[in-house]
Order: sequence, then C-alpha cells, then structure tokens
Amino acid sequence: MPLRRRLTIAFGLAVGLTAVALAAGSYFVVRHNLLRDSVKSSAKQARKNLTLAPSYLPGTKNLLDAYTRTGGFETIGFVGDQSFASKLFLEPKEVPASLRRIVGRGQLGYQRETVSGTHYLIVGGPAGDAQLYFFFSEQGLRHELAVLRNILLAGGGLLVLLAVLGGAVLARQTLRPVARASAAAHSLAEGLLETRLPVEGQDEFGGWAQAFNEMATALEAKISALSAAQARERRFTADVAHELRTPLTALVGEASLLSEHLDRMPDQSRRPAELLIADVGRLRRLVEDLMEISRLDAGAEAVQPEAVDLASATGAILRARGWDGRVRLDTEKTIVTTDPRRLERIVANLVGNALEHGGDGVVIRVGRDGARAFVEVADQGPGIPPDHLSHLFERFYKADPARSSPGSGLGLAIAQENARLLGGEIEVWSEPGKGSRFTLRL
Amino acid sequence: MNEHVLLVEDDASIREIASLGLEQAGFRVTSSGDGREGLVQFRQSAFDLVVLDVMLPTLDGFEVCREIRKDSQTPIVMLTARADLHDVIVGLELGADDYMTKPFELPELVARIKAVLRRSAADPGDHVIAVDGLEIDPAGFTVRRGEEEIALTATEFKLLLELARRPKQVFTRELLLELVWNYDYLGDSRLVDAAVQRLRGKIEADPKEPKLIRTVRGVGYRFDAG
Repeated sequence: MPLRRRLTIAFGLAVGLTAVALAAGSYFVVRHNLLRDSVKSSAKQARKNLTLAPSYLPGTKNLLDAYTRTGGFETIGFVGDQSFASKLFLEPKEVPASLRRIVGRGQLGYQRETVSGTHYLIVGGPAGDAQLYFFFSEQGLRHELAVLRNILLAGGGLLVLLAVLGGAVLARQTLRPVARASAAAHSLAEGLLETRLPVEGQDEFGGWAQAFNEMATALEAKISALSAAQARERRFTADVAHELRTPLTALVGEASLLSEHLDRMPDQSRRPAELLIADVGRLRRLVEDLMEISRLDAGAEAVQPEAVDLASATGAILRARGWDGRVRLDTEKTIVTTDPRRLERIVANLVGNALEHGGDGVVIRVGRDGARAFVEVADQGPGIPPDHLSHLFERFYKADPARSSPGSGLGLAIAQENARLLGGEIEVWSEPGKGSRFTLRL
Repeated sequence: MNEHVLLVEDDASIREIASLGLEQAGFRVTSSGDGREGLVQFRQSAFDLVVLDVMLPTLDGFEVCREIRKDSQTPIVMLTARADLHDVIVGLELGADDYMTKPFELPELVARIKAVLRRSAADPGDHVIAVDGLEIDPAGFTVRRGEEEIALTATEFKLLLELARRPKQVFTRELLLELVWNYDYLGDSRLVDAAVQRLRGKIEADPKEPKLIRTVRGVGYRFDAG
C-alpha cells in the first residue's frame, strides 16, 4: 500500500476513533441523566398521587378526575378484584407482573414498558388496599435521545470524513518532497542533468534535497566533462582527417601520375615508387575511413531511403568491384526501403573482408527471415577465435596484432555504424577452422 | 580535342599535379589559386569547362559558381573537401554539373570531365521535339518557349532531352545517372535530384507544381506531355 494512503488511513482512524469515543461517551452520559431525572420526577408525582388517593377511594371516578386535572400521566388501579383505568386502551394486563409483585410487597416500584407503541415509565405503589400504577409517557424523552444520537452519528461521520480528507492533504503535503525527489531522479536518469530539487526549510527533507542537488551537480559536472572530452576527441579526429585531405589529394594525384610512368623508371627507383603508390592508397583508405567514422559520430550522415531490391543491389555491388566471379550467390528478390549508398558500404566491406580472410568459397545469401531482410556473407576461412568475437566491431581492433591487414581497422566499425543508421545491425558467427558468417539484418 | 579547362584550386601541389594530369590527358589547362582571379580569367578567355574547388581565398567556390552561372552555361565540376551532404547539395543547386570529393584519383577526374563534355556535344540527326509549347532542338542545343530561348547547361539539356524523348516513361535515378552522367550504379542520385530541381526552375510555369517533369514517388521521374 502506498505510504500516502497509509498515512491518510492512520490519520482518519485516529481522528475517527476519538470522535466516536467522545460522541458515544457523551451520548450515554446524557441518556443516563435524562432517564434518571425522568424516574425522579415521575416518582415524586407518583408519591403525590398515592397520598391523594385514600381521600377519594373507593370512588374511582373522582380520583381519576383529580388525576386528569393534574395531567401528565395515565392511571391503572386495582381495588380487590376490580380494576380501573383512565384510558380505555390501558388494560390491567399492561401492568407487568414483576412490578405488581414489588407493589404487592407494599413498596414503590417502577418499570419501563412499551404500550401500543408508546414508551412509558410505569410507577406503581400501594394506596391502602388498592394498588395504583401511573403511566408516564417518555415518548418525548426517547425522541430527544434519538435526535441527539442522530446528531452525534452525523457529526461523527462528518468528522471522520473531514479527518480522512485532512489526512490525505496532510499526507500529500508531507510526502510532496518524496514525490518531487522521485520525479527528479527519473528525469536525471533520462539525461536531464540540470534537474535540481527546491530546498525548503531546515527539516530532514530540506537536508535531503540539498544532498540530492549536490549529487546531481557532481554528476552533471562529471558527465559534461566526459562528453566534452569525447567531443574534443572526436573533433580532433575529424580535424586531423580533414587536414590530411589536402596533402593526401596531392599525394594521390602524384602517385597516380607516377604509376603511369613506372615502366620507364630505372630499376632501382621503380620498386620504391611502386611501394610509395601502394602506401598512398593505404593512407587514402585510412583517411577516408576516419572521415566517415567522424561524420557518423557527429551524426552528420543523412539517410536517403528508397525502395531497393537487396538481391539486385548486392549483384550490382559485386559487379562494380569485379567480385562477381569469385563468390557464390544465393539470392531471392527482397524489396526493402533503405539507403543504397549505405547498403553498398556495408555489403562491400563484409564481402571484401570475406574474400580477404576466407579466400574462395564465399557464399552470399539474400532473403527474408520473418519480418526482417538479411544479407549473409559466409566464408570458409580460418574463422575468428571466440574471445575476439565481441571486440570485432571496435575501432582499430585487430584479432592478430602481429598481422597487418590492408584495411584501416575501421571497416567493421563503420559497417556497424552504417547498419545502425539504417535501423539494422550486423551479427557475427564464427568457428575457428570452419569459417565465419556475417549477417546484416534490416 | 584540346579542350580548354580552367582549374581553380588553392593548394599548389594539387593544382600542379591536377594540371599535369589533365594536360597528359590531352586538355589545355589554365590554373588559378584564388577565386577572384579565377573568375577574372574565366571572363578573359573561352573555356570549355571549369574545375572549381570550394575552399578558396578571396571568393569561395560557391560564389565563383554563382557568378559564372549568371551569364554562362559552361560545365562546372566542383571539388569539395568534404563529402558533406550540405556542400554537395549547395554546389549542385548553384548549377554545378558534377562534383568530386577529395581525395580523388586523377583518372576519375579525367573521366568525369570527359563525361560532362560529352554531354555538351551536339547530337546531330535528331529532330526537334515539340511539347506543350516547348521546342527542344538537339542539333542546335537549344530550348525555346515560343520566341524566348531558355538557357540550359549541357547537363540540364541532356536530362531534358532524355526525359522528353520518351514521354510517360518512368526513369529511375540510376537510369538517368547512366544516360545523362554516364555513371554506373555508384553514382550519386543527388546529382539527379538537384539537376531536376534546376531544370524545373527554368522550364516549368510553376516549379513548385511541376506539370512537365513529374516525380514518381520512390522511383524517379517522368515527362508528361500535356
């Protein structure tokens, strides 16, 4: 149960129980007093009546007339076997036997009875050889008590209701800092690092809010320092790659002119020139990959989706690189909405790797696996040891540090970033000795 | 052939090696290392093509391109330092016919220049196409609306011609790259989109609601005659 509800209920209960106890107590005190007063005054009147009686008896009519003049009660009398009553509906049997026994012993007695729906206090006593019973109506008294009870019940109910409402408001007030702190923690978690709590008052919540804010400030400082460092690092990479471009363009041009004249070079300079040309090519690939990955990091790469048939696109990519004779294709027409240029980067990278490491026996499958389209590049090369698999998509990661490969070390990282940009991913499966399988899923 | 190429590039090494490469490929090359000077040179003699770097001192490549396009349809190939989408699109929208990103291989630059120049070569033996008040004359390399001649670059003209020759046929961007730019699969479809935009700006009554060159969503473009 939430803390707020528990607090509300506790408050309501405390106030409610107190109110009920007070109301019940006062009701019973009032009731007791009223009933006692009623007995006292009725007994007083009964005594008066009894003293008056001998002067009229045995003539009952005059006695009853005298009583009627006094008013406020009805009378039943017994003289020997005879009985008389001031009202027709009062029959001798209405006088309770227990009361009659008390009066029979010559004592004054009283008892409460309901006769024809009316509450009476019956006071009886002996008058000579007669017994007289006086019926005092307590209807008014009962009614007053009922009204009082209803008032107390209604008041108590209202009080409990108010107590619950007040408790709810109070609980909310008390717990507001908790709710605020929890919302603040959520927004911190979602990355709104500038979230702070208002510090109100000197109580425990105030201290807590202050501590929370200090934590948030420290966290914000740490994270912004980290992301600034990361941004600097990325910017540096982008700048380096960019600055390398101009001299590299010149180098590429020079190497390309040089390559046209290789056969006319003296032997001792031809080999170095060949190496120079090859290295310029390698440098060019590295710089281009660096440029691409820093653009991907900066989120500067736009996706231009269009309807593409993965099968024919893959065929075209292979043909454009002269690879179509070296791989086996197992494709079916698979139309997806994607950016063909990014797709080309990914597929070319995967196939290039497979051809380089796997040699012959590269098989490319294109199709659909449930809702997702896939391009799978499988080779029968030496495979990748399991402990290298999870690092494969890291930048500049080389499974074998001693072995230099013609790639930049960024190829798979770029391919993976591109795949993510297309809303897909690249999965890898490999078993040493059997080969590797890279699957692009879109 | 000895076509005259103006090369505007601020880096001395690139300028020299590109000049050398183009000369060996049979072009006559005039080079310049600064935007304003390049523009002056362009106005002093007749060039068949301009190779224009984006980052230039005094006047950047975009400005030079804009100035040239004010009164000339001479083909322009931009050299961009970045493969930034933004740079490429700005260049193409200003009327460049093609672009190359650095670093590039000289043979590729030569191939692109030749492809652009081929577009400006007249296509004799083709008869005049008349659609919707538009008169396209392949031999004279001119487009008229009534008496008024519409100035199109070679790329725009070739694009219009290819589309108008087969009205109602849907051309994919790849097919247009092949027909107009002489590219294979690896070309950039943004070339097509930017050229279509420019062409619409010149021949459509309302370029925002094109009636002649229609976009076929997700596929490419189609020429509608009337």
